[in-house]
Amino acid sequence: MNYALFLGCKIPSKVPAYEVSTRAVLGRLGVVLHDLPFDCCGYPVRSLDRDASVVAAARNMALAARAGLDVLTPCKCCFGNLRHAQRLLDEDANLRERVAAALKAEGLDLPTSVRVEHLLPVLARGVGLEAVEAAVVAPRAGLRVAAHYGCHALRPSAVTRFDNPMAPTLFENLVRATGAQAVEWPRRLECCGEPLHEANPTLSDRIAQGKVADAREAGAQVLVTACPYCHMRFLSIQAGRPDALPMMLYPQLLGLAMGMTPRSLGLDA
Amino acid sequence: MADTVFHEGFFRIALWVSLALGGLGLLWRLVTWLTVRIGSDAREVSFGQRLWAAIGGGVGALFSRRLPGMMGAFFLDVLFQRRLFATSKLRWAGHLMILVGFTVLLVMHALAAWLSGKLFDNYYATLNPFLLLRNVFGAMAVIGVVLLALGRRRDWAFGRPARRPADGIFAALLAVVLVSGFLLEAQKIASPKAFYRMTDEFGLGTDAEELAGLRWVWKQDYGVAFTDLHGEPDADVLAEGRELNSQACVDCHARPQSAFVSYPMARAMAPVTATLDAANADRALLWLHVLACLLGIVVLPFTRFFHAVADPVSLVARGAAASGPLSLAGRVSRRALAADACIRCGLCDARCSVAPIARWLDNPELLPSRKVQATRRVAGRAWTRVGDGDADRLAQGAHLCTDCGRCTLRCPVGLDLADLWDAGRDDLAARGLPAPATWIQEQPAIAWAEALGTELGRVPPAGPLSADRRTFSACVQCQTCTNVCPVVAHGGTDADRVDLTPQKVMNLLRLGMVDLALGSRMVWDCATCYQCQENCPEGIRVTDVMLELRGAAWRQLGPVRDRRRPE
Ligand code: SF4
Ligand code: SF4
Ligand code: SF4
Ligand code: SF4
Repeated sequence: MNYALFLGCKIPSKVPAYEVSTRAVLGRLGVVLHDLPFDCCGYPVRSLDRDASVVAAARNMALAARAGLDVLTPCKCCFGNLRHAQRLLDEDANLRERVAAALKAEGLDLPTSVRVEHLLPVLARGVGLEAVEAAVVAPRAGLRVAAHYGCHALRPSAVTRFDNPMAPTLFENLVRATGAQAVEWPRRLECCGEPLHEANPTLSDRIAQGKVADAREAGAQVLVTACPYCHMRFLSIQAGRPDALPMMLYPQLLGLAMGMTPRSLGLDA
Repeated sequence: MADTVFHEGFFRIALWVSLALGGLGLLWRLVTWLTVRIGSDAREVSFGQRLWAAIGGGVGALFSRRLPGMMGAFFLDVLFQRRLFATSKLRWAGHLMILVGFTVLLVMHALAAWLSGKLFDNYYATLNPFLLLRNVFGAMAVIGVVLLALGRRRDWAFGRPARRPADGIFAALLAVVLVSGFLLEAQKIASPKAFYRMTDEFGLGTDAEELAGLRWVWKQDYGVAFTDLHGEPDADVLAEGRELNSQACVDCHARPQSAFVSYPMARAMAPVTATLDAANADRALLWLHVLACLLGIVVLPFTRFFHAVADPVSLVARGAAASGPLSLAGRVSRRALAADACIRCGLCDARCSVAPIARWLDNPELLPSRKVQATRRVAGRAWTRVGDGDADRLAQGAHLCTDCGRCTLRCPVGLDLADLWDAGRDDLAARGLPAPATWIQEQPAIAWAEALGTELGRVPPAGPLSADRRTFSACVQCQTCTNVCPVVAHGGTDADRVDLTPQKVMNLLRLGMVDLALGSRMVWDCATCYQCQENCPEGIRVTDVMLELRGAAWRQLGPVRDRRRPE
């Protein structure tokens, strides 16, 4: 399996351990990752200038298309925005034309057949749950894990096709594959509050705090995410708190279960 | 003792005046590093604290755990230019050639009277290896300039990297110095007047008849442009000339051919050499060459060349920061020197994550090299001269940055750009240009609607979704969207309770009251979680409409807003 790895803006600068652990785990599972000169996925400008966001997304996908690769991203917002751009390009002929012209100026073609995937579905469906389970040599038996889905991968399901938006199982299945236990927590599908952080920090914090409290009440020992934005949000609102719920990125959890050292998964730093 | 033009009265005075002016300029620039305030926290530290952090902290750091980082930065980053080497080998080679070429010329040639003349007891500008070396290092500098220019062009992301007005002056002066230097040497090689000056100086006299043989030799072998020598020389005269040449000249004068740049130039100029010589062109070129150098010293602190001072400071400060964050005073000064240390190389622009967006929006102010200069302008007095349109473009640049950190990683002079962007956004907010979510939420929706109504008349649809009535015509006002909305559910106190629920926003659109929806808090407080859209029984794209409204609000409310820019 070959993919162009799309890290987006936040992972390299703010959550480098996510890149390290993703590469480590996928490498072991036979997924070959390629690095292309990608730029911003367009998500941050999506609400200010839809067209600019689509161009940015299309350009990245065009780079992947030129290399003959599909895209794999560990970021749910990048994933959501790249898929969203594909949808807009599909439904709006006028936009498609203008974007194609902008790409042409750079010698790129409008990408038509690139698949954009998030890390979790690649693991669950591409590699396959059985193969993931088979790679587990140090099961995290007894560890109670709250899996946080993240909005932009799950919804709108018509665009993202990530999992059943009302009752998803994908993340919990992956958690169970590591031998850990996935706790049921009522607010697992809710927003982490990150996109609201700039406009309304108090409300954003309240939403995030509520989620963490909910996970803790459900008996979780660790909160697992698969998106740099969610991860940063939960880390920052718990910073300095003695009762902070430990955080992990999914490939870190999986990597430990596959017998990798914490250091090789960016967990020591 | 080597000769130097600076023994002449005028040049001597000019040299001292230029050094004094250059020194004052330098001092002034250094002081701005301690006075310019970038970032809201910059007000918390005084000039004195910053001076202390720069001197006391700098010296103190030499005796602390910061020392290894600073030493490493000095040798690897400043001298070897490790950071540039990592990003662009081409430019690294160019930079090194200019650095070596220029330094050697400065030491060996410009300061000949004080340095080379003292160092080598057989120093003569006309003697090898000095003649050859001058050409080697001059050519090196020229090639270096070409390599840098090539590298710059190759890396252009979109538009040119930032420029300061003085950058052009610097480039022009550099060109004048290099070209006039080579021209001067070329003219001297072929100049009969220069020939006589030499023969006079070395005791051979200046009698044309007496020197006929020697002149023939220099005409034939070295291309001196004697206009009175025609035909073929008499064999005896020539032999005599060769004899004299080997006795008196060749020991002390290298073959002009070893000036491998100037000599071919001299040959090319042969048709006009005599005329130029009669007009004392070598003297004029000398003036040009020396005055351009002196002018260079005066304007140096205001040109790109100032980076020779600013960049070592920036890189060593970065090395010091490697072993723990600097004090606030130190960080604030580091921000202040950024605009001076930035060499406008554009390496950051080339891999800026939002460069494609900058291109689409046709706004180069998104690019980091521009923003480095902009942060300084926003913070200082120059801000009063920035018009509203430009201010908006700068603000767009600051707020659309994704903080991906790539520019900081690539910057060859080690600027902490991530910190600079944060500080710059603070300053913009203080000038009345915070992120759109902030300034739009400063007024209630109704006030915005009024502002729009009076100034714009009919409000155009927010975008393709809102323009199409089918987007919300099916809404049955069931409130499902509102019931699943986390912002509605958790907005507890008055301060952050939403003004309109998602269902009400949809209703406003159904009623054609886009203007009321545009400035509502809800539009900007929406977490874009897509719960509403996913759950709407009628399949209405509630979140997509919210996003569309934001874009429209940003475009349409900007022009009608009261900027209230505090000074
Ligand atoms: S941090 Fe901002 S300015 Fe720097 S490269 Fe990233 S998007 Fe561009
Ligand atoms: S900020 Fe750094 S990388 Fe960017 S133009 Fe200036 S010196 Fe070059
Ligand atoms: S859920 Fe849909 S139909 Fe119901 S009020 Fe909201 S937008 Fe209208
Ligand atoms: S997308 Fe926005 S409006 Fe819709 S439910 Fe989420 S926060 Fe509320």
